[in-house]
Amino acid sequence: MTGLFSISQGHSVLPVVLPLLAAFLMQPLGRVARPLALLLGPATLALSAYLLIRLWLAYGDAPYALAIGGFAPPLGITFYVDRLALLFATAVPVLTLLFWSRGEDDADPLRRDAVMLLLAAAATGLALSGDLFNIYVFYELVAVASFGLVTLRATGAAYIATVRYLLLSALGSVLALVGIAIVYLQTGTLSLAQLAMLAPDALQNPLGLAPFALLLIGFGVKAELFPVNTWVPEVYATAPTRISALLAGLVSKLAVIVVVRLLVLAFDGTGATQLMLALGALGFVTGELAAWRARDLNRMLAYSSIGQLGLVFVGFSLGGTAGMLAGLALVLHHLIIKSALFALATRWRGALARLTGAARSAPVSAGLVVLFALSLIGVPPLPGFWAKLLLVLGLVELSTPLALGALALVLLGSAVEANYLFRLVVRLYARPDDASTPALPKPKLLDFGVASAAGVLLLAATVSVVPVSGWLRGVADQAADRAAYIDTVFPTTLVQSGAR
Amino acid sequence: MQLPALPLPALPALPLPGALTPLDLLFAAAAATLLLALLLGRWRMAGPLMVMGYGVQFWLLLETGTLRGEPMTAAMRFEILGHALGWRYDALSWFFAMITIGAGFVSAWYAGGGWQGLYRSQGHGPRLFHVALAANVLSMLLLVGSGDFLSLFIGWELVSWASFLLMAVAGGIAAQAALRYVTYAFAGAMAVLGALVLIYGVTGSFSYADFAAAVPTITNGQLWVLVALLVGGFGVKLGLIPLHLWQAPAYAETPGPGSAFLGAISARMGLYAIVVVFVALVGIGRLVQMEIPYTFISARELLCWIAALTIIFPTYTALQQHDARYLLAWHGIGQGGYMLLGLLVGTANGSAGGLLHVFNYAITQAALLMAVFAVMYRTGTADLNKLGGLFTRMPITFVVLLIGIISLAGLPPMAGFVSKWLVYRSLIAAEMPFLFVASVIGTLGTILSVYKLIHNIFLGQLRLEHEQVREAPVSLLAPMLGLSTVIFLAGVFPGPALSWVAEVQRALGLEVISYTLGGVESPQGSIDMVWLVGVLFAGFGVGALVFYGFGGKSKRVHQLDNYAGGHFLTADVRYHYSDNFYAGLMHLIGGLYKGGFRWLEGTVTSTVDMLSFSTVGVYRYVQPTLFLLAAAAVMLAWVVL
Amino acid sequence: MSAMGPDSLSFVVVMYVGAFGLLVIGAIGMVMSNHLFRMVLALVIAEAGANLLLVLSGWRDGALAPILGTHAADVPMVDPVPQVLVLTAIVIGVGVQALAVSVLLKIHRIYGTLDVRALRRHLELDICRDAGMAPEGSREAPAGERPLPPPIPVADALRTAATDQTGATS
Repeated sequence: MTGLFSISQGHSVLPVVLPLLAAFLMQPLGRVARPLALLLGPATLALSAYLLIRLWLAYGDAPYALAIGGFAPPLGITFYVDRLALLFATAVPVLTLLFWSRGEDDADPLRRDAVMLLLAAAATGLALSGDLFNIYVFYELVAVASFGLVTLRATGAAYIATVRYLLLSALGSVLALVGIAIVYLQTGTLSLAQLAMLAPDALQNPLGLAPFALLLIGFGVKAELFPVNTWVPEVYATAPTRISALLAGLVSKLAVIVVVRLLVLAFDGTGATQLMLALGALGFVTGELAAWRARDLNRMLAYSSIGQLGLVFVGFSLGGTAGMLAGLALVLHHLIIKSALFALATRWRGALARLTGAARSAPVSAGLVVLFALSLIGVPPLPGFWAKLLLVLGLVELSTPLALGALALVLLGSAVEANYLFRLVVRLYARPDDASTPALPKPKLLDFGVASAAGVLLLAATVSVVPVSGWLRGVADQAADRAAYIDTVFPTTLVQSGAR
Repeated sequence: MQLPALPLPALPALPLPGALTPLDLLFAAAAATLLLALLLGRWRMAGPLMVMGYGVQFWLLLETGTLRGEPMTAAMRFEILGHALGWRYDALSWFFAMITIGAGFVSAWYAGGGWQGLYRSQGHGPRLFHVALAANVLSMLLLVGSGDFLSLFIGWELVSWASFLLMAVAGGIAAQAALRYVTYAFAGAMAVLGALVLIYGVTGSFSYADFAAAVPTITNGQLWVLVALLVGGFGVKLGLIPLHLWQAPAYAETPGPGSAFLGAISARMGLYAIVVVFVALVGIGRLVQMEIPYTFISARELLCWIAALTIIFPTYTALQQHDARYLLAWHGIGQGGYMLLGLLVGTANGSAGGLLHVFNYAITQAALLMAVFAVMYRTGTADLNKLGGLFTRMPITFVVLLIGIISLAGLPPMAGFVSKWLVYRSLIAAEMPFLFVASVIGTLGTILSVYKLIHNIFLGQLRLEHEQVREAPVSLLAPMLGLSTVIFLAGVFPGPALSWVAEVQRALGLEVISYTLGGVESPQGSIDMVWLVGVLFAGFGVGALVFYGFGGKSKRVHQLDNYAGGHFLTADVRYHYSDNFYAGLMHLIGGLYKGGFRWLEGTVTSTVDMLSFSTVGVYRYVQPTLFLLAAAAVMLAWVVL
Repeated sequence: MSAMGPDSLSFVVVMYVGAFGLLVIGAIGMVMSNHLFRMVLALVIAEAGANLLLVLSGWRDGALAPILGTHAADVPMVDPVPQVLVLTAIVIGVGVQALAVSVLLKIHRIYGTLDVRALRRHLELDICRDAGMAPEGSREAPAGERPLPPPIPVADALRTAATDQTGATS
């Protein structure tokens, strides 16, 4: 493959295609050469990550569009590659690789590897795709892959949680499909770029907002949007912790990014943002409140993740570059921190009471928990503070009653969050009730490495908050630029008429 | 008569590279102290090293010359997300920074000496303690130098979390108390953040100047929101009722010198922030204009009454404490009320009294807590029911405690008297008789409870197990005695401290007090402590003359040589009256202790608990898809309607 | 779908009503039933409704099915895009349903029931056992510690108890 040496825009498809191909090759190859098949997954992901980074370096400045199979945009499927898409597309193979299960959860590693690759391929596609129906297909693929992954522990509880999750997700998808049908009825196209052109005329009315509401609910299931997130605590408590890390850290964010793309391109109106604002604020408050009573680590992290994603929705609902910046900062912040916390939880899962005194056997891990907790609740000068500051300033600038109400909820929820997170911290540093309780196992080296890397990243971002925020503003500017999206996909703006 | 200044030596100007100012050096020195604590905290000589670090900081603070000179802006400034972040020192900053570094200095000294051995033997590492102390000093120096609302908030949070670290280092009960503190503090911080972003929404920036310019145009309604949020948020740290419950346990359970440091200055950061926002930027005059509809109370009077009640309730709570540390910590909450009250009165005497009390109380509380921890160091307990008669065993500690309680109770000739007198005087002059009565009631409680303190520890019967107790080691006594000397000198010659306060008043744009070496000279009331102390000691002299003139008959007996009803009392008979102290008084007022604030706190936590329970119920609902469908229906209805 | 419908307007209306009807029936069926398999069946109905709606979005009055070679080139066809999409959607739907049924089989093998209320209880108990903690009690007496900040510091409480005085806080 020449891609190793020279890079072209056409290679942007490969991170989707390669893992998909590898997933299908996995079983046959396993029959022939099992060790090779076991290596296939990591190798493919590493290659994907390498390609994406090369793409980032080569074409990171200006967005470009790619017509799949050479079919022109309104009919054919496009991939839209800007910094936002590249950022999340790169995160997919990297994080999947970091949370690659290492043979402790499942009897059949090949099947698991294939599903992981399917997840990676579909998630990358979700980040890159510029076509509504294509997004729906990738979203369903992600869903199916995640159903497979969360049952890996093969316990009864895992199956129950999965089927509840599945039913919720499937009904959500049905509603999303209805939304897609309505969009198509009204505009006659599903290409996001063309939707962006037609939206001001076709979708700025109640019947135009209805599909957004339906799509929001449909994609909101994965994005842990209140109130369609009831699957989160039970699934994260029963799934392998690394899978929970992937779902909470990465997959939820990709669903959010999809919703944000739709919001920016097609549904840019106050009605849509108000919906997101209200649901986000409610999600934050309910998540934090529920986490307050959690008695086991996984569910505490799950509820906290619900809360943080509520915050993310509030951020994106602010609209414009400011909203995009706030949302992106929160998304990246939570992506790093929640992945790292779940990485630490691989060995620490279970009742919080068992964590008493864990700092003695694992001082660095406990220190990392403190760091993450401080950043999560937004203590300056950690990055979480700046993200939260952007959010609250945006809310004040909106200054509608809804926004001010959301501001109050965000501040109150943060106070609750501080209480339960620091209850955990104090517990980690407390002396065990009786000395006979066996010391908790230390986190595994790789998980510990992931958490430490996240900690280092966080501290580095703290020190270099000025360049990081500048860079993030660049990403946000690009992502919030609707005209650029249209111009990139339809360079000559020849296609003005819909499909009819 | 204006006093020239406190004779501080004129320092040679430091040669500084580039745009750096002495202020940057001060921050750098504080950071370096923190770094040293981190690197060398395990070393046996870490204590003296830290003391030197604070000494250098003190010197650099003087070098800035911001007390009498121009305000100084630090070269360190950031531009983050379009918001400028800067630090500057003026006389107010200097005043608080001076107390902070001083408190750090004496605490580190105390910690570095004999106390360190005890701390080690309890299974703690001194490194973490030194780190926490240095972090506190650094963060407070940053806070008092904040040049805009954003740096104010950052400093505020840094101080909060540094205090949390210092409170939590000991683990166990202390960590639980620290957790409670952090819950209060973070909720308060969120209120502050809310207020600051609302200010940003009005003025479009975080700068002080823009806010001050916008104050006349802000409506009273908006200002009420700011008052509620900011006084609530800052008041958490100051311990204003009903947000004070965390403070006494958190401060009392902190390891010895840390407790002294926190008690001396940490809570005053709330006062600093209130002064900056409401005295310097909003102005007391504006608060007076903010009438509560349908009443004759203005915002200032409301806050005055909160301050007055903050004096009374915690002081009478202190009266009932059985632990010397808790007793003093509860007093700390009450004394904060005097400071706020004086500042809210806003006259030259009032604000001077409030500010001076910050300094006077800091030295007093540090000395008192150090004395109590010295007793703990020797006897292992601070329980007022398990001590007694230690006067003969620890006489120097006794003297330190005696000087401290006289000052705390606000009696001449000690420092606390001057500041409290100014506050009383200003209340009368400002025609606030009820507030005056309230503060006097508070002082009455103080006198009663500090008597309980000294009686139960040092007077009365020596317990058998304390027969062999010795005086505290010199390393502990030295900072205690130093502080006692300052308390006495600041009581007899309040002029120097008043000169600082006058500069602060000038910087804040308040009326400036006219002071003399011995006190105050103004139409609102004059006092000359030199003369007063002279009379006092002359009285003692006369008493001594009378006593010795009549032969000075006294007979020295052994401390355990005691009789009652003609019977010899052996040492194992307990006749030391310590428990249920003030039984008569409690008979009168005991019924008033209802635990109302605890009930309030419990109500809030129960409410959160109930809400939490309900949300968990939602998340665990049996039908997985019900909420999805309901949400879809509601949203579609909302969209269509 | 024939272009020769008797009265095409009413035909479209009937079809739309039918699509939404299927959706509503399916959705309500999912909420109302307590049996997991019935929920899956309700899901199938709802999906059928959604697919029908998608097909209808490409409907054109009096047009033919978009299949090459069966009619003259100038006869109008219905929009082919939704028809392609619906094929994909159906395939995805069937896949998900098959997965659901396979999981249901496993659940039934383990717990012997598909009643959603019983399984909800099993789930909670299993999670608690897996985490090594006591299950939640009744509403009146929640098990485990109450996650409150300490109402009274322990030392204070002990002292109060030891010295037989009233609680020393106002």
